Amino acid sequence: MKKLVVILLALALVLPLAACNKTPGPDTEDPGKDPEKETYELALITDIGTIDDKSFNQGAWEGLKKYAEEKKITHKYYKPAEKTTAAYLDAIDLAVEGGAKLIVCPGFLFEPAVYEAQDLYPEIKFILLDGDPNDGDWDKGFPTYKRQSNVYSVFYAEEQAGFLAGYAAVKDGYTKLGFMGGMAVPPVIRFGYGFVQGAEFAGKELGIEAIEVMYHYTGKFEATPEAQAMAAGWYEAGTEVIFACGGAVGNSVMAAAETAGKAVIGVDVDQSAESDTVITSSMKQLSVSVYDGIKAFYAGSFPGGKSIVLDAKVLGVGLPMASSKFETFTQADYDAIFQELVDGNIEILKDTKKVDDTDTPVKITDIPLELTTVTFVE
Amino acid sequence: MNTIFFLLRQTLTFSIPLLVVALGGMFSERSGVVNIALEGIMVFGAFTSILFINIVQDTMSGQLLLLLAILIAGLAGILISLLHAYASINMKANQVISGTAINLLTPAVAVYVARMIQNVQQINFNNTFRIPHVPVLGKIPGLGDVLFKDAYITTYLGIAILIVSAIVLYKTKFGLRLRACGEHPHAADSVGINVYKIRYAGVMLSGMLGGIGGLIFVIPTSTNFNATVAGYGFLALAVLIFGQWKPMRIFFASLFFGLMKTIAATYSSIPFLLNLGVPNTIFKMTPFVATLIVLAFTSKKSQAPKASGVPYDKSIH
Repeated sequence: MKKLVVILLALALVLPLAACNKTPGPDTEDPGKDPEKETYELALITDIGTIDDKSFNQGAWEGLKKYAEEKKITHKYYKPAEKTTAAYLDAIDLAVEGGAKLIVCPGFLFEPAVYEAQDLYPEIKFILLDGDPNDGDWDKGFPTYKRQSNVYSVFYAEEQAGFLAGYAAVKDGYTKLGFMGGMAVPPVIRFGYGFVQGAEFAGKELGIEAIEVMYHYTGKFEATPEAQAMAAGWYEAGTEVIFACGGAVGNSVMAAAETAGKAVIGVDVDQSAESDTVITSSMKQLSVSVYDGIKAFYAGSFPGGKSIVLDAKVLGVGLPMASSKFETFTQADYDAIFQELVDGNIEILKDTKKVDDTDTPVKITDIPLELTTVTFVE
Repeated sequence: MNTIFFLLRQTLTFSIPLLVVALGGMFSERSGVVNIALEGIMVFGAFTSILFINIVQDTMSGQLLLLLAILIAGLAGILISLLHAYASINMKANQVISGTAINLLTPAVAVYVARMIQNVQQINFNNTFRIPHVPVLGKIPGLGDVLFKDAYITTYLGIAILIVSAIVLYKTKFGLRLRACGEHPHAADSVGINVYKIRYAGVMLSGMLGGIGGLIFVIPTSTNFNATVAGYGFLALAVLIFGQWKPMRIFFASLFFGLMKTIAATYSSIPFLLNLGVPNTIFKMTPFVATLIVLAFTSKKSQAPKASGVPYDKSIH
């Protein structure tokens, strides 16, 4: 009798899984899969976080998938076993064995892996987002950079995206802001610095006396109760809107904002569908740049060996005005400030600056601010 | 004053799940089965019930849905804990290994099934369960601000579980038998108590409470479930030990852990603490350092159930 119960229970656990197995969704990773030879021409290696992080990996994957589905090209993503250069390289090996001709590596953390892979696989093309291949040896101050003709390195002007978000928030009447980043990697830092400077810029335009910014890096790209509690604390202490800049960190901030009835600014992609509290998102056009890179590859004009920064000029960054919930900040306001960025009239301090030809890190305290007070929370 | 009320409210969102899960662990361990699988059980309970909420939330919302979800979380927890019970009671397997297996299994199952069903591993839910202001009770100064504003019924449920647990453990025949099986199963057996049955009950209770704890942990802290409870199952184990396997002590231990966690996370909004200039790592360390100290001083007269972790075998004395 007991055994029968146990068997039944075990079956109850296993059966739903088997049932699910039979009905794959419409969005499987490999449409056009050839049962005879399983190769995938286009590959993406996920960074920390998952393919459906509603943020960085997902944005890049959507661009790849869009092109692949349009042209009926086999494609697949690979998830590294862990967050190390060795594991990233293993994933790249796997992708190459799987027949990849072009591999998309989204994320700053791929720099050392692509640095090695570019020589290992000279016939394979790499698109490296948010990074430029280097040996990752930061101990001696700055690492050795090397970019072969099979690597296309794409940066985004996150400081401009952040600037637009900060500017729009203050223009819309918010004066108590918060910035909650994930890991303090260069793109996140650029978002944050831009955000602070955008707020300052708008404050000066409007003649506001004081703007307060709470500033913190959680150190993870995860939703944690700690992040939720911290956001709730900020809202309780008067913060009106928090720029949640770290993948799933946003979900913690949104949960806090829903309780407090306050606002959130999303990141990387349009996150307005995630929660009603999202008033706008500081976007970078990940999917567009991946799509364009792959398109160039098939057109025989792969921009290998180049490193570019996608900024406002090429519509590489921006806010999704159609889904934004601003009250006083209008499309005309947005177009005006965007044009200023395109024309290069506004200088925004980034995470590093050139001092005697070397990139020197910029600290948050180095940003010249007159009316904005930044409280840095460790 | 408002800051203090906020702090205490936020403390409850940390403490109540810890309390419920640790009480679950208590039932299992007092019956003689070490349950290191609390983390995995929380994940499984949260996964099943949030998936349920996700599916039916278009037609239902509010407290009724939450109650149904709690029911499902409890049942899912019981189901998964039966694996642990079978391995450790019937098969006399190493209880730590079996618990670890569940901890490894459940997040993977959650990701796999969620992807199969909806292609995305995060399961979204609309939080329609928060009560902004409880009528009448919310007006009580002080207490009302803490317990009856931005509240969840799960808070009251957690306190009810505490009271019921204390009564069951100390004032009922079942509780006496449960404790006997955890201390000296052979003695219990000699007076005709079915040790296996009692231990099954203990593990199933821990599964139920663990599953419910998983759900009430996720709801106030995120807008989706991403196959993790951020190590709170293990934290609940620490609470259980800190609370010396006794309901009321577990309650205070969970409040203490919750308060410390809250302070570590929110000290930036409290001017007094921010001006102290103490690095927040100190706040983060406090509950764990305190656990170590308490263990160091009480290990000689530790109240751990004597037979906890030892498979019961009638033939070996």
